[in-house]
Parts: sequence; structure tokens; C-alpha cells
Amino acid sequence: MMTHGHSSISRKLMLVTTVISGAALALAGVAFGAYDRASFREETVRNLSIQAQIIASNSASALIFDDPHAVEVTLGAFSASPNIVSAAIFTADGRLFATYGHENDSYAAIPPTIPAGTLEVHRFDDQHLILARRIVFQGKNTGTVSIGSDMKALDTRRNQYVSIIGAVLIVSLGAAVLMAWMSHGGISKPIEQLAQVARRVSNDKDYAVRAPVLGNAYEIIVLTEAFNEMLTEIQRRDQSLHEAHDALEGRVRQRTAELDAANKELEAFSYSVSHDLRAPLRHVAGFAGLLTEHASASLDAKAHKYLHTITTAATRMGRLIDDLLAFSRIGRDQLTRGRVSLNAVVREACHEVTMQVAADNRAIDWHIDDLPDVEGDPAMLRLVMVNLLSNAVKYTAPQAQPRIDVGCDRSGKSETTVFVRDNGVGFDMQYVHKLFGVFQRLHGADEFEGTGIGLANVKRIIHRHGGRVWAEGDVDRGATFFFSLPTRGHHA
Amino acid sequence: VSVLSFALFSVANVSAQQPRPLDLEVKAVYLLNFGRFARWPSPDVAIAPKTFSLCVLGRDPFGTTLDSVVRGETIGGKLVVARRLARPEDAVGCDVLFISAPAGSRIKSILEKIDRAATLTVSDIPDFVEQGGMIQFVPDGARIRFAVNVAATERVGLMLSSELLRVAVAIKTDGKPGT
Repeated sequence: MMTHGHSSISRKLMLVTTVISGAALALAGVAFGAYDRASFREETVRNLSIQAQIIASNSASALIFDDPHAVEVTLGAFSASPNIVSAAIFTADGRLFATYGHENDSYAAIPPTIPAGTLEVHRFDDQHLILARRIVFQGKNTGTVSIGSDMKALDTRRNQYVSIIGAVLIVSLGAAVLMAWMSHGGISKPIEQLAQVARRVSNDKDYAVRAPVLGNAYEIIVLTEAFNEMLTEIQRRDQSLHEAHDALEGRVRQRTAELDAANKELEAFSYSVSHDLRAPLRHVAGFAGLLTEHASASLDAKAHKYLHTITTAATRMGRLIDDLLAFSRIGRDQLTRGRVSLNAVVREACHEVTMQVAADNRAIDWHIDDLPDVEGDPAMLRLVMVNLLSNAVKYTAPQAQPRIDVGCDRSGKSETTVFVRDNGVGFDMQYVHKLFGVFQRLHGADEFEGTGIGLANVKRIIHRHGGRVWAEGDVDRGATFFFSLPTRGHHA
Repeated sequence: VSVLSFALFSVANVSAQQPRPLDLEVKAVYLLNFGRFARWPSPDVAIAPKTFSLCVLGRDPFGTTLDSVVRGETIGGKLVVARRLARPEDAVGCDVLFISAPAGSRIKSILEKIDRAATLTVSDIPDFVEQGGMIQFVPDGARIRFAVNVAATERVGLMLSSELLRVAVAIKTDGKPGT
């Protein structure tokens, strides 16, 4: 789109050509006109001076012998010169001796004053040239001749000059415009075409267009060709970028599909394994129970201890399998998103956890901040909180004054970060990467009971919500577990 | 000489017209200026006079006017001097000769006496040109004009300027008055 105040190059070129040629011509016209005027005036003075000299030499005798008529005859010759409007001859003592021309024309009728030592004077007024010359006969000042010449010829000449210059100006301006118009095809038109194409490229992002190579100006052809080459290059890169993008996308799609398939296969496998493992386990546990009832009397204490171990192991394995199935379900089940009050979630989780540990009769110092509402699956977030809190309770067991903090950091614009801090046994930061793995445990089962799947569940749930989990800790100095959830409108 | 001059004077005295002083001055100036518009035949350098003589023959009507008019003037590089003559015979060496005489007097005999001499003769006698004189003053109202006898001047080798002839009231070429 053309901006206001920006005129096209062809108009500018035309303007420049016109102004320059016009100014040059006008200047030349004024200069020549002034020169012509000056030289014409000079010429007129010279001619009039010659006329005055002739009159002077022809009127000496008439002046000497007091014969005005003879002078008038001489002056009468001026009728052949239409520009001489009046003439007069004065005697040496300033008396008007003879006149020529209109009586009311007083231009030459005033006795002129010629400075001593000067033979001739002239002056211009607006319309006339008046020239006065001494009449000298044999070295004696005999009188004065004064001639008035009409300078209308100068005006006529000037008018002619102006009309000639005007005509030349018009013709040359026309030629300039014609030249500019003709050069339009050679310079402005290709540039305008180029600008148009550039505009189309920037507006439509269409790199397939090409500027036509027009005109015969070398630089413009080079410019146009370079522009076209640039377009070709951009198009080529665009193409390869597109291809790379497509290839990458295809590869990602393929990998994802493969991964999905493998994942599904794995989950189906683990599910069926877990499921299938439960049947024989039930047999083991069931028959161990039957054996206890049936042969209770005949068994000695050692046998009872063995049976108890079998039953405990079977029960533990059953719990492991249940946890595995739950973990697998967390990965598969649809999220039912909604507005979740974290305060409510923490309250419920806390209640559940303290019920579990109530038997231990431990006094835990709870510090729970006010927490925000978040977007998510309430049941799953509750599971996260239960896992984190029960972990905290579990690992503060050796602590004489256990303390658990729950808080949040709302400073992040795009996410809400919640932490659970305890002053329990902590962990070594070099194993932090193992914390959230399935069945990865930093402590032995004999030290702290557990299946090692809780934090894996936390990680899986938070990831499914588009959030992150991480942890900080030190051995015997407690641990802090963080999870962040994207705030509304920032779901990944 | 004194008798003749007295006679001339008395004749002039009784003439009907007493010339005005202004006319006399004009005539004196004209006498001088005639010399400026005429060319004399070149004389032998050795005998050529060093002055230009403006002579008055007969009773002098100009008085001191002529002297004051010619004072300091030169013609052809020669100083102009005014001379008064009593007799025509004395006119030898005169460049311009004004003949002052009553009308109808013996002009012819005077002119015969100076015949062949390159002297420009001037007079205000009527018929002066008719009788063989060269320039004759002719009153024209308030102005003084003159008639010229070119035949007479040419006879003695005197050349009158065309400028002079242009302002002459009449020009006689062959003994008859022209225009």
C-alpha cells in the first residue's frame, strides 16, 4: 500500500527532469534576455549617437548663419526613422533653434546640460532614450543637438523574446515530460514492478512470484535479478524446511505410534501378569490358611512361624500386585478434570494418613498453609497428596519431634507449585533421579515398609496433569517434594 | 583718402536705413565665419602671409565691434586681423573684403581693381551679386541672410563650402541669380 506523501519514482523523475530543464531554460532566458537588452540599448545609443553626429555636422553652418529652416530640413530626414520621436537644436547660449517631432513632446525641447569636456550625454527614462551632443565647428562650441528616441522597440523586442522563450520552454518541458514518460519504461516502470512484487511477497508471503526483468538500465536489471534469486533461494529453503519438518513429523508420528504400541503391550502384559499372578497367590495364601486351621495342633512352633512367613509374604505380594494394577490404571484411566480445592484435598489426605498412623500414637507437628484451587482430577490429586503425606509421616518416624509443612508458591505465572516438607531421614541428592521410579527405593523394606510405587504414581499423575515433580533433600535433614500444576489457560 | 572716406561716410549717413547695432554685430560675425566656410587656392608658402586679413573698404560701419569679434580668432591656423582700407588698390592680401559703399556707386570699378585676386568680396549693397560681387547680405525680416555668386568665386579659385551654400538665400552660378 502506498503511504501518503510518498510519490512514485516515475513522478519524481518527471518532476526532477521538468524542474531542472525549466529552471535551466528560464535562467538562460533571463541571462540572454538581460544581455540582449543591454546590447540592444548600447546599439540604440550608438545609432542615435551617429545620427546626432550627422545632424551636428550638418547644422553647424545653419547655426552660424542663423538659418533654422535649413536645420529643420535636415531634421526632417528623421521622418525615415520612426523610432525618433523628437529632436531639437539649441544655440550655444541655450536658445531653442529648431525642433522636429510633436510639439507637445518635450523630451528634446529642454536645453540639455552637457558637462564641460564631454561631447555627448544620454539618459533613459521609462519609454525614451534622450541623447544630447555638442555641435562643434572648427573647435568652437556652436550649439547642441538633442534627440529623443522611442524605446518601444525594446518593449516589442522583449515581448518577442519572452514569447520565444515561452514557446521554447513549453516545447522543452513537453520534451522533458515525453523523455520522462519514455524513460518510465526503462527505469521507473521496472522499479515500480519490483516494488509491487516486493509488496506482494511481504503481504501474501508468496515466494513463488518473480519480478519481470524490464527496461535496459544495467543496475535495475541486476537488482531485479538479485531480487528474483533471493526469492528462489527463500523458496528453496522454505521447501527444504518444509520437507525436513514433514520428515520429522512423520518420524515423530511413527515413533509415537511405536511407543504407544509398546506401551500398550507392556501395560497389557503387566496387567495380565499382575492379574494372572493373583490367582496362584490366592491359592498360596488360601492353602496356607487352610493348613494353619487344619494342622494347627500337629504343627510345632517352627512350622507355625514358617506358615506365618508364607502368609505375610503372600499378603505383601498381593499388595504389590494391587499397587501395580493401580499404577497401571493411573496411566490408562481418563482424567476427569474439574475445579479442585487443594485445601480440601490436603484436609482429606491428612485425615486419611493420620488414621493410618493413629495406632503409632505419634505427635506430628503439622503446618498447613492456605492453598489455592487448581484444575485437575480430584481423586488423582487426592492420591498424590496421600502419597506425599504418608511418605512424610513414614520417614519422620525416627524423629523425636516430627514436623511436616505443606505450602505453595504462587509467584509462577503459568504454574502453581505445592511442596510437602518434612524433617525426616531425608535422602542423598545423588540418588534423586531414582526417587520417582517404580519400585525404586532408597531405603530397605525392613527399614521403612512400602512397595516403592507411591512416588512413581505421584510423578505419573502430575505428568498427566501437565505438571512437574522434583525433590530436594539431604541425609538426616529432611526432604521436600514439589509438584507444580499449570494454572488455568496454561495447560500444556 | 580722407576725402573719399568722408564722401563714403556722408553717403552712408544720408542713406534711408541706419543699420541697427545688433545687425552690425551679426554681420561682423558672418564676415569672420564666411572665412571658415571658404577655401583659398594654396599660395606659395614662401610668400604666404602669416595672418588672415579681414578688410573693410570704405566707410567702416562696424567700428570696434569688428575688432572685438576677430580678437583672438584664427582661421586655418592663421590669426585673424581686421584692416581698414581707403582705396581698392590697398586690398592686396585681403582674404575677406567687406565693401562699404552707397547703393549704385562704382562697385564694378572697385571689383575690377581687385579682379583675379583670391579675395572673398562681401557687401550689403543691393545687386552686389548681380554686379559680380561674391556674397551679398540680404535682410530677411529680423534676420540677416546672404546670397552667393559661385561663378565669381570659382573664377578666382575660391571654393565655398556646400554647408555655406546650403544656408544661402540665393546662389548665382552664371551671372544670373539662382535659388
